[in-house]
Amino acid sequence: MPLVRKPTLPAEHRNPAPAEVLAGLVSASCDERWAAARAAGGLPEAAAALAAALLHESDAHVREAMFTSLVRIGTRDSVARVLPMLRSHDSALRTGALDALRSSPSAAHEFLPQLLSDPDVDVRILSCELARSLPTEEASRSLCALLAHEPEINVCAAAIEVLAEVGDQAALPTLARCAQRFSQVPFLEFAIRLATNRITAAGNRG
Amino acid sequence: MAELPAPTEDEFRRLCEYLYRRTGMVFNEAKRYYVERRIWDRMAATESSSFAIYFARLRTDMEDEIQQFVNAFTVNETYFYREDYQLKCLTSDLMLERVREKQSGDVIRIWSAACSSGEEPYSIAMWLLENWPTVDDYAIEIVASDIDTRVLDLARAGTYGKRALMRLPPELIGKYFDALPGELWRISPQLRDSVSFTAVNLVDPDQTWPHGQFDVVFCRNVLIYFDDASRRLAAENLYENLFPGGFICLGHTESMSRISPLFEVRRFADAIVYQRPEIKQS
Repeated sequence: MPLVRKPTLPAEHRNPAPAEVLAGLVSASCDERWAAARAAGGLPEAAAALAAALLHESDAHVREAMFTSLVRIGTRDSVARVLPMLRSHDSALRTGALDALRSSPSAAHEFLPQLLSDPDVDVRILSCELARSLPTEEASRSLCALLAHEPEINVCAAAIEVLAEVGDQAALPTLARCAQRFSQVPFLEFAIRLATNRITAAGNRG
Repeated sequence: MAELPAPTEDEFRRLCEYLYRRTGMVFNEAKRYYVERRIWDRMAATESSSFAIYFARLRTDMEDEIQQFVNAFTVNETYFYREDYQLKCLTSDLMLERVREKQSGDVIRIWSAACSSGEEPYSIAMWLLENWPTVDDYAIEIVASDIDTRVLDLARAGTYGKRALMRLPPELIGKYFDALPGELWRISPQLRDSVSFTAVNLVDPDQTWPHGQFDVVFCRNVLIYFDDASRRLAAENLYENLFPGGFICLGHTESMSRISPLFEVRRFADAIVYQRPEIKQS
């Protein structure tokens, strides 16, 4: 029969020393950087080096592993180090940072108020997504606080899209005021109407 | 339960969008009845009087509701030749690609990474023996793993009831099983001894890495049980467990694209599978 069974047990995994991991993160070899990025997930003290290496990492696979390891470390410090990447000019880095924060919602939520009031428009837009996994009332409250004063149309649109899924009845007055503020912007009016209809329908059925 | 209102079209769409974003499970209007049945079941179980109430519960993961909902979609019932379109894909496409660079007599490694009580790895073995004409040219190593050591004991024992064999034609049952009293069948010793069983936690690199690299990994209906952070980590572990160019097969509702950008999507006639790229991007 062509089926074979190897009698050997799996090999043992060798965990590299912390110094080796830190050196590997900046190695010229892509394979070594990947291995170091993976190993760094088990080393909370490597968070700073991981974040620093991420800013210069050109390989998409290694970058993914670095973000995963920052999430895996899961400390306040490791999550905080991802936040500045939301304002990167590199779209892959921005998206990677958002995905990383989304996969660690409990750690990311602490930073949501500061992210939603960030001076950078793109950061505010991306941060609206993080509200999706908040409890309904909290999500509604956070996004309504943003919508009440937000001058940027695209940020409002991002918040309204999330509210359409997670918003509750308490969001309706804020949505109405937002519609008045941007009455000259048809697509925003449309988005608000859709969100309002959804929230109202959900409320009526609930 | 009959009094529970069906979700509206809009609510159904919201739920599908949410499920896709949260779990990678893909549902559309064509599967509406299938999804609705499970929504009703969970609404009844949680005493939710409306879809809105239930959806709020699901979204905030109240009392582990996401897990409960996923469980409703992935009944832990498994049987031989389940989702056999992937087995067809294995012999019609995946193996052909994997042996392109191999010589006669080379080893081909296949991993059933969440094998439960063994139906999947034994199905792979039988399918290859029955459906791959050049099976004798290679040394095929099948490794079967699970986090649950109790189901691994069942897999090693290889004894099954009638229901597990429902998709197998009688001639295959006669060929690969020994009948036991009480409507039970035991996998033949030869086949049983050709599969290695190991315990593994897919989110622990210290456990996955030692298994080495594989040509094809089956990891069906497992990742949907994990939270986002664990899924990312498991995907990276599995990436390391594949040779460059190796393939990973997920369950029919799962999408690796929602979990990790590490893999390339490959669309074959019988199935969509994911591939570790041959050459890493730089």
